[in-house]
Formats: sequence, structure tokens, C-alpha cells
Amino acid sequence: MRTIPSALCTLALLVVTATTGTPAIAQGNPIKIGAILPLTGSGASYGVWMKGGAEMAAEEINAAGGIAGRKLDVIYEDHAADASKAVNAMRRLVEVEKVPFSLTSYSAPTLAIQPIAAQNKVVIMNGGGQSDNLANKDYLYNNIPVVSNEVGVIADWLAKDKKLASAVLIVANDEAGRNSAKTFRERYGAAGGKVLAEEQVALDATDFRAQLAKLKARGGDLLYISSYGRNVSIIADQARELGMTIPMAGTSWVLVPETFKSKGAEGMLVTKLPYDPGSAFARKFKEKYKTDAGFFAVQYYTATKIFAKAAEEAMKKHGGALTGEGVKDAIESTRAFDTISGKLVFQANHGAVMDIEVGALKGGKVDVEKVIKAAH
Amino acid sequence: MDLLLQLTATGLVVGSLYALCALGWGLIYGTTLHFHVAHGAVFTLAAYFAYAAQKLLGLPLAAAIAVAILAAAASGILIDLLVYQPLERRGAIRTTLFIASLGLLTLIENLLAVVFTPDPLRMEVGWLAGPVQLGPVFLTRLHLVSVATAVFGYFALMAFLKHSRWGQAIRAVSSSPDMARTVGIDLRRAHLLTYAVGSAITAPAGILIAMDVGVEPYRGTTFVLLASVAVIMGGIGSIPGAMLGALFLALLENLGVWKIPSEWQSTISFGVFLVFIVLRPRGIFGRKIQSAEI
Repeated sequence: MRTIPSALCTLALLVVTATTGTPAIAQGNPIKIGAILPLTGSGASYGVWMKGGAEMAAEEINAAGGIAGRKLDVIYEDHAADASKAVNAMRRLVEVEKVPFSLTSYSAPTLAIQPIAAQNKVVIMNGGGQSDNLANKDYLYNNIPVVSNEVGVIADWLAKDKKLASAVLIVANDEAGRNSAKTFRERYGAAGGKVLAEEQVALDATDFRAQLAKLKARGGDLLYISSYGRNVSIIADQARELGMTIPMAGTSWVLVPETFKSKGAEGMLVTKLPYDPGSAFARKFKEKYKTDAGFFAVQYYTATKIFAKAAEEAMKKHGGALTGEGVKDAIESTRAFDTISGKLVFQANHGAVMDIEVGALKGGKVDVEKVIKAAH
Repeated sequence: MDLLLQLTATGLVVGSLYALCALGWGLIYGTTLHFHVAHGAVFTLAAYFAYAAQKLLGLPLAAAIAVAILAAAASGILIDLLVYQPLERRGAIRTTLFIASLGLLTLIENLLAVVFTPDPLRMEVGWLAGPVQLGPVFLTRLHLVSVATAVFGYFALMAFLKHSRWGQAIRAVSSSPDMARTVGIDLRRAHLLTYAVGSAITAPAGILIAMDVGVEPYRGTTFVLLASVAVIMGGIGSIPGAMLGALFLALLENLGVWKIPSEWQSTISFGVFLVFIVLRPRGIFGRKIQSAEI
């Protein structure tokens, strides 16, 4: 049903180009890259931002004449938070589309595709997943800090500044959730806090009442939510509904539209990575997609721009030839990239560092109380 | 103690939804012997019908629910009329019917995902979302409505089967199809009626859970699996058995969390089910299961 109109379009396009001669903008074959994103499922809100950011970057690159005169073509794939879907998508991108580079997202899917990337010498860049295990991996670059940086900051802030001495944890039962919870236990403990109980939940679950009831019975001064996507708003609403009145906290993962809209999440204590909702980028995004942009939109915009820069370098160096290896070398030799949110420097562990803000959710935005500067 | 009460209450709420699904599935299985897993699709369709009636047609909530229940009943009838009956006329064995049913479940779920996206859709429930506190137990108004619906559904179904002519015909077919035929009951019509009633009683479960946590395409598979477990546990052909089986499963899942980490929830229920069914294959109240019945 879907293929017929698109086949017709292609045919029409062929006829048009055949009669009018060469296409107007870029010459040569387009450069194809992949983007493996959570387009559906519990993290679909991130997907809207990530895809929008990458699309905007590609459009700007193409409007400015492409990469060394070649058009950039992004192929979007959906992993729906499922590592096996990400692996299938990556295989297709590598074997069928022969991409030199792919954007990737989420911790478990990214860890699952990294061996394929390394083996086939395809660079993958992750702007969303934050598990500590994503650091120091061949052919994988993260233009986002690993979660332990953020968890360290919030654990300190909650225990020392907010004087919340004991916590109960609700944890998404996946790589990202468990990794964040593990770091939270370590850092909160080191800051003098005590973790009383932990309950694991499925990322695609919608009823957390039994787990929350159990955590409520354990008491504590704080509910730490080590989960992400639409989960967070459901957990927050159901916790309040069960009469849990203690403060809730989470890292920048929780900042999705569902959470901003949730009544239960009002007052949630969070970390936030630098993002300016009043920026030109945010205005353009809103105009184009009719929805507010978020941090992750900038992340994938930036990652796409970094690829364009590195690809241009690589092609210059290798007489126009573009390979994943060339892109990797270009990233390694350039290291510092100018982005719309300032300079991004890849660290020796293939990750980035950023300023981390802490504050409380109020009326659909984060009221920032304190900024912890990044140590480059 | 407070925790135990809260978990029991949450278990009863979830159990009410399982029960509505199990009552419908059990009635259909007990009467037609079709292992109707596509019942999960009817359960899910009901939620989408309610969503579409409220959001796309702009009907008030009560009217949207009524429309959805009728549409779900019609879906049940259509499945029997267009899929199972033609297969049976051609002499298909029960396994063929089961595979067809499984195919239908997958097909409908995926079509819903294509049309409405796999992401959960929110219905407007207004006042019903408000909290209710009963001593140490916290619920919402919607949860009380769920329990009330299950209790009402159970008694209404029992009354229908006992006292109405149509209900008696269904019972006759359920206990002995051959005998029912000899006294002049049209089996095909009795089956269609069973599908209508079974689908209509399950529809509120799909709608209520959607009102609570959103409309989703793939929830029906879990529910129909649990419903079949509840029915087999309760005893095939027994309506009180289906009800008890469903409540037992839900309480087990929720109370199990009390002492065992919650990620073992489904392991607990299926573990207990296996032990139970090996020790007592006919379930709490029912006839003996025969291998040929699937």
C-alpha cells in the first residue's frame, strides 16, 4: 500500500530529472549516513527531537552545497529501545546502504551495534545513551557525558544541599537504568546518603503501583527514578496517587514532554544539560515541527554537523574518498568541534563533558538552582 | 500491614480487569472449544473504538464506551462468521483454528500500530482520575469503577446464562453440543451469540485499562494469555472458576511483590500455574482438560 505511491513518485522524479538534466544542488552520489533512533515506543518523544535535529542539520548542510559538493542523505531506522532491532538496522545500514557513519542512541542498542561498527570500520556517534559502559569503545563516539557525571552531581546535591538522607530507587530494568542506579548507590553513599530499597521495572510497563507501594512502605526521604522516556511521568503520577509525598529526583533523562506535562512530576529534582529554549535553533525547530525542541534535538543536530566537518576533512585528506576509517581519524585529529552550544571536546574516553545544572521542575520547565562547571 | 492492604487492593483492581477478560474468553472457549487468542485483539480493539469515538467523533465518555462495547461485540461476531465458521465448514481441525486465531491477533495488533502508531494514546477521563483514600489504601475512582464493573459483569453474565432463553441455549451447547442440536438449537447461531456476549463482557476491561494508562496496540496478547491461564485454573466451562482464577492470579502477582523483587512477577504466576495444573488438571471447578481441546 505504501510502496505504490512512493514508486510512482520516484518514477515521476526520474522523468523530471531526465527531461531537465542534472539536479540543481549537489553533484555526485549522495553521502548516505544512518540514524538509529527510538522512533516508536516508550522513548518516541526523544525520537521526535533526535530525528528533527538531524534533519535540520542535513537540510542546512545541503542548502550550503553539501559535503565537498555531495548531498547528505540520512537514513532513519527505528530501534524502539530494543537492542536486537538496532542490530538488524545496523546490519542493513552497513551491508545494504554501505554507510561510513551512523548516528545512534540509547545505551543497550548502542552497545549492541558497536562490535558491528568496529568490525566494519563504520563510525557511530551517540548523542543520547549515557551508560558508563559506552566509554572507551572503538569506532564509538559519544557527544554526551556518561551518566556517572550527572549522577555524581545530583547524588551530592541531594545528600548535602537538600539534606535528603535516605532514598528508595525505582529502576528501569535495562543497561541504562541499572547503570545509573549502580552509580547512584555509590555516589549517594559516598555523600552520606543511604539507599533503603530498590525495585526494578520494565521499560515498556505502564503500571508501577505494586513496586511503588512496596517502596512507599520502606519510607525514605526521596524517590530516585532511574528510568527514562514516558515511564517517568507514569511513575511520578502513580507515586502521588498512592499517597507518596516524598520528593522525587532523576537525571536529565527524565526531561521529556510527558514529564513536563505530568502533575505528579511537579517539583521533581533534576539535573539538566545545557540547552537554551530561547535560542535561534529552538525557534526554528518549533516553527518546523510545531513542537518545542529539547536538549536531544541539539545533540543530534550537533552530531550530524560534526560528521559533516569530519567527513569534509577526511575527503580532503584522501583525495575525495570517504571511509569510516577516514572519518574516525578526522575526529581523532580534530577533537574540538564548534557547535551551537559552544566548543565540544572529545575526551580520551571518546566522550564529551558538559556543564551540569541542578534544579526543580516548575510549571513545565527546570528552575535552575546551581551550575556545576565541566572540568575539561 | 498497610503495604499488604495496598497490594491486596491493587491486586483486586488488576484482578477485576483480568476477570472481565477471562469471563469472556472462558465463555467462548467453554462453549465453542475455539482457543480464541484473537480475543486479545477484540480486547484491544475495544480500547481503540472507545478512543476513536471520544477523540475522533467527539462523543462524551459514556457514549463512547457504549459504542465501543457494541463495536467489540460486532468484532467478535465477525471473527466467528468470517474466519472460524468457514474453516469449520471445510473441516479444519482445532489446531488450524488456533493458528488462524493467532494470525488474526498479530494482524489486528500490527494494523492498529500502523494506523494509530505503537505509542500509547491518552483518553480524557476527567473526574474518574481523581484519588480515593480508604484508610491506608490509595486508589483512583476509576479503580473502584473497575471493581464494580467486574462484579456487575459477573452477576449479569450468570443471570443471563441461567435465566434467559438465549443464555440457556449457550449453556446447552456448552455442556453437550450434540444434545443441543437434537433439541433444535442452531449451533452456528449459538456460537455467534457466544462471541457477541463474550466480546461485550471483555470490552470494558480493554477500555478501563486504556482509560487508566493509555491505549496501546500490544496489550491484548498478555491479557488473553492470562485469561486462558485463569480459565484453565478455574476449570474450563465454569464461570465462577474463571472469575476466581483471574482474581487469584492478580492477587498472586501483586502480593508476590511483597517479599519477592517485582521483576519476578510473571515468573511467580506462571510457576504457580504450572504446579497447580500438574496437581489438579481439571482446575478448581471444571471438567477435565483433554488434549484434543486446543
